Amino acid sequence: MTTNQIDPEKLLPLTPAVFHVLLALAGGERHGYAIMQEVAESTECRIKMGPGTLYGTIKRLLEVRLIEESDERPDPGLDDERRRYYRLTGVGEQVVKAEARRYAGIVKLARGKRLLGGSLQAASTGV
Amino acid sequence: MSLPIDNKTLLRSQKTYKWLLVAYPKSHREEYGPAMSQVFRDQCRDAWREARHWGLIRLWLRVLPDLIQSSIVERFSALNERKSMFDKMAALFRPRLAPLFTFLAVFVTVLVLVLTASVVITFLLPESYASTARLKVEPEQENLFGGASPSETAPTYDPYFIQTTFEIIQDPIVLSKVINQLNLNGDWGKRYNGGVPLDTATTMKMLKQRLSLDTIRNTRLIEITVYSEDKNEAAQIANAIVQSYRDYRVQVHNEATARGIQMLQNQYQQDETSIRQAQADLESLRQQFKIGSGMTDPQSPQAQPYWDKKRELEQRLEFHKLLATKIEAEKIDVQIPTLGPVEVVRLAQPGNWPVRPNKPLNITLGAIVGIFLASVAGAISALIAFLVGERNRNTTAATGR
Repeated sequence: MTTNQIDPEKLLPLTPAVFHVLLALAGGERHGYAIMQEVAESTECRIKMGPGTLYGTIKRLLEVRLIEESDERPDPGLDDERRRYYRLTGVGEQVVKAEARRYAGIVKLARGKRLLGGSLQAASTGV
Repeated sequence: MSLPIDNKTLLRSQKTYKWLLVAYPKSHREEYGPAMSQVFRDQCRDAWREARHWGLIRLWLRVLPDLIQSSIVERFSALNERKSMFDKMAALFRPRLAPLFTFLAVFVTVLVLVLTASVVITFLLPESYASTARLKVEPEQENLFGGASPSETAPTYDPYFIQTTFEIIQDPIVLSKVINQLNLNGDWGKRYNGGVPLDTATTMKMLKQRLSLDTIRNTRLIEITVYSEDKNEAAQIANAIVQSYRDYRVQVHNEATARGIQMLQNQYQQDETSIRQAQADLESLRQQFKIGSGMTDPQSPQAQPYWDKKRELEQRLEFHKLLATKIEAEKIDVQIPTLGPVEVVRLAQPGNWPVRPNKPLNITLGAIVGIFLASVAGAISALIAFLVGERNRNTTAATGR
């Protein structure tokens, strides 16, 4: 399977773990523990991934080439050489955007049915 | 601060996690095992910084279910990759032996996981030592003189005496002296509050949690036991509580005695005033009846009131002298050092071995609970496997395939 053959829409919906890992990597390349911390912070500690779930998810994302391992280090002098960094591929970026749009659509729908507060316009802007 | 213990605990956690990675398929372990270990090490470091031992226990309670779940997922994933081989093996066992193998697999897995969890948690719990001091306590005997030594009066039975003693020992009147004397606010602040001294109320609460009071049945002996991670500190605190309680009881005893002496002195002064008045009255009677100073017997019946008054005065003077003697005796008693109503039978010594956690008990309980849960989970799984097998057989029979 090559990256060009993947249709992002076909991979949706993503599991929460996959979506949050991709969201964390949308902010730039990160190593495993940094991804874990980013997920915990962005979800206000509602999602705390363990090492098993994290690397299981990373393994599957590498297999479908939504992410790739990076050889570069942000600051080699300050970082542990054994750490493995990951970043989004082009397809990964498309997939996370598509999933974010899907969520935005759901939020818009929920607001339309007055299940959520806030303005409709805010929801329609999407990600 | 005990840095070597910190390092030992963290290393033990990391080694255990590395060992538990055998739950994953070999290929997954080889590819991601070092990275997973490194992430766990980072988590351990943060959890320790956050709440020391309890932080690590909370981390393990999150990581173990994650490990179980993700290792099962990876195992299934690896099995799918070797599906053809698995199918051949499964065909050998199906359908009759499938429930048995399912039971064994689930039983062993659940038992190992529960046992591992109990071992990990037991070894992560902070160790604590106990030191016990033994006291003989006597109730304060109230009498006319307000606090004579217990041996002077018959003991009275007070069903609430031991309970009252326990409450006094746990009262700020005793414990605050211990906290100040051992500087527990500062020491425990360094150990548990990031170097910031604790307030006395918090320290008192923590001290009460580490304090255990017990009585020896049918005696007036009580035991004061203190638990601490530091064996010397446990003994110091127990002995300081003993000293503080004894000081309190001696103070109460002395105050009661002083009140008694004051009462006697007041009585003495009142008597002295009335005796002077009686002496003056007697003198006026003597002059009235013209009685000479050398006369000892009544000379005429008219002088009888004088002699009656004189006898009464002599009796009062006798009692007055006795009162003065008693006051002097009490004053001397107060100044003689005595054991008082509390006797230290045995001072606390530092313990040789930690008493908490009780490792053999915890692991045995873990094994018992593990066997129970493993049996239930295994039986349910075997039943499901049996029912699925039956359904498949019926389907095969119905379709003729």
